Amino acid sequence: MIVLVLNAGSSSIKYQLYDIATGEVLAKGLVDKIGMGDSSLTNKRVDGDEVKLEGEIIDHQAGIEYVLGVLISQKHGSIKALEEIDAVGHRVVHGGESFHSSAMINDKIIKKIEECVSLAPLHNPPNLKGIYAITELLPDTPQVAVFDTAFHQTMPKQAYMYAIPYSLYKKYGLRRYGFHGTSHHYVSRKACEMLGLDYQKQKIITCHLGNGASITAIKHGKSVDTSMGLTPVEGMIMGTRSGDLDLGVLTYIIDKEELNVKEANTLINKHSGILGISGVSSDMREVERAAEDGNNRAQLALEMYDYRIIKYIGSYAAAMSGVDIIVFTGGIGENAERVRESVCKRFGYLGLEFDQEKNRGLRSKEAVISTSDSKVKVMVVPTNEELVIAEETVKVLEAAKLRKN
Amino acid sequence: MSYTVEPIEGYGIKRREQPLVKKNRYEFTKVGIVGCGILGQEISRMVSSHGIEVTFVEITEEKIHQALNSISTDLDGMIEKWGMTFSEKRAIMSRIKGTMNYEDLAGADIVIESVKSRSRESSVDLRKRIFREVEKYISPDTIIATNSTTLVITEMSSELEYPERCVSLHFLSPADKIPIVEIARGLHTSDMTYEKVCQFARLFEKKVVAVVESPGIISTRLIAPLINEACEILMEGVGKLEDIDDTMKMGFGFPLGPFEVADKIGLDTIVRWLDNLYKEFGDLKYKASPLLKKMVRANHLGRETQKGFYRYNEDGKKLTDSK
Repeated sequence: MIVLVLNAGSSSIKYQLYDIATGEVLAKGLVDKIGMGDSSLTNKRVDGDEVKLEGEIIDHQAGIEYVLGVLISQKHGSIKALEEIDAVGHRVVHGGESFHSSAMINDKIIKKIEECVSLAPLHNPPNLKGIYAITELLPDTPQVAVFDTAFHQTMPKQAYMYAIPYSLYKKYGLRRYGFHGTSHHYVSRKACEMLGLDYQKQKIITCHLGNGASITAIKHGKSVDTSMGLTPVEGMIMGTRSGDLDLGVLTYIIDKEELNVKEANTLINKHSGILGISGVSSDMREVERAAEDGNNRAQLALEMYDYRIIKYIGSYAAAMSGVDIIVFTGGIGENAERVRESVCKRFGYLGLEFDQEKNRGLRSKEAVISTSDSKVKVMVVPTNEELVIAEETVKVLEAAKLRKN
Repeated sequence: MSYTVEPIEGYGIKRREQPLVKKNRYEFTKVGIVGCGILGQEISRMVSSHGIEVTFVEITEEKIHQALNSISTDLDGMIEKWGMTFSEKRAIMSRIKGTMNYEDLAGADIVIESVKSRSRESSVDLRKRIFREVEKYISPDTIIATNSTTLVITEMSSELEYPERCVSLHFLSPADKIPIVEIARGLHTSDMTYEKVCQFARLFEKKVVAVVESPGIISTRLIAPLINEACEILMEGVGKLEDIDDTMKMGFGFPLGPFEVADKIGLDTIVRWLDNLYKEFGDLKYKASPLLKKMVRANHLGRETQKGFYRYNEDGKKLTDSK
């Protein structure tokens, strides 16, 4: 079975072609700068063949046409005909309250995803463009939508509601939805698999620390709380996002600096976080280097970053009355040994014994980084959202087949 | 293992009968602007922010330099106000080019005229000349739009080879912030031109107000007499300057009072608008107040000269206690 996974952004499309039987990635690539003058498509085949196609790619539909074209091309292709693609899995950022799991795409589902556009105006429209394009180009191939928000739909109401007038929840659907769902789901399951533990019996805290960052409390296989909210700006301190902030601070700034909504939004999304505090960069590595060179603000940014994670882990341990496993993933979670150490050292009182040796130099590899006696296991599990999307796609297809039979 | 770079053509899967551009959807990849004063700069900034190339024509190297500088300063102001990042600014500036040659407008999808002139007679002649000059270098389906309101597009386009491409596209200042545009068709304006220019305006999330060609259309015809009347009230000694402004701001929710608006627009412009309106309609209510005329003669034109009804610093910021 061959599954094509698409992750369409505002001006880019990431894709991977999976052979499910062997678990092999046959090809993967990126369509970049769609609609701009210097657009391109880079395709990497499993055997190492790599090609960059340059030329005008006017929109998402054209981008996907070229993706399909290169996948079946004689020179750089991985399959012979488009009919070999058994299904297409799409990443869809926001599924609102409509989607608790992945869904087979049909007109009704498309309409529901369209209804969620107001909740994710930057993300859902390009996701939809990917779906429209495949619908036109491969009309007979089944498609599955895998939502970033779906995994978090199990949160209890007390965790997802905001303490603002209830009527606003009713009117606009304003509540916590959470993001990175496929990643939190994947790494938590994978961690249990590695440890040989029953996923349905563990209390897990997953820290997805990348450009965006979120932490999720997973109790007995279900997301019960997560740090991102209606939008991805809540929770952790991120590269350029503030994360949690006293709302009064924002209204104060809006008043004093006479900001409009767009400016206020840019302030908390693009000028804040690690960049805003350090004044150095939004890149963790550069800020760490600056701190080593004695830059006080860079040092402060790191301390604040770690402290926010510590607070969330503590509160989620409280929310679940304990924690069995803490998982680090995402660009920073997988690579920044300093962050992992600084955070984990603070949880001795929970019975966490951190293994500095195992942590040292560990980059993007699955590993346990707590001692064998540690009551709380700490792990690094590289995330693989594309793989989850491919697996979900297969799962949904098989369920549909079963229903038919 | 191999790494190659190839052209993308030949990798598509569907041969298209039609180009990838959807029907009834026009593409805008280059916008020409003639006259890059404050409004021209605002339009340039707005258009470039949307990823579209801008080429503006000015009459001297110095003015080109001035315009680019001023756009850059405005963007800095937005960064300072958290509305933008440095890399966004770099991208916006890289898409704006200034020139003294009309030839460089070649390839534009729309050319917007936003020049400032002194008297009505010179205004019409000047614009006719500009339109003719522009037409030499652009393709027949490129739109020529004017930002003026008190001069009618039919007259300005009368001597063109393709007058059906002309339309009045009126942005209010600041063009990138005010969410409304007035679009008027002239006698010759074709349906396609009109539809295309409406689509252009909607690219910037503007509400399009469709108007019939008429001097001053809506905005100028309402604001000019308001400012004029405010001057009369002030001259008669009924109230103080700030109090008149405050009354309109607090009483009616105007973001700026009539004198603040006047200083922003430029008193010379307002007098010219009033003169044009008076000439067209012959109604005394459009006769420019002696106070306005006196101030224009004294070159107290508003923000532009740092002195109008109020005083301003070099960046156009109102000075407190600035009468």
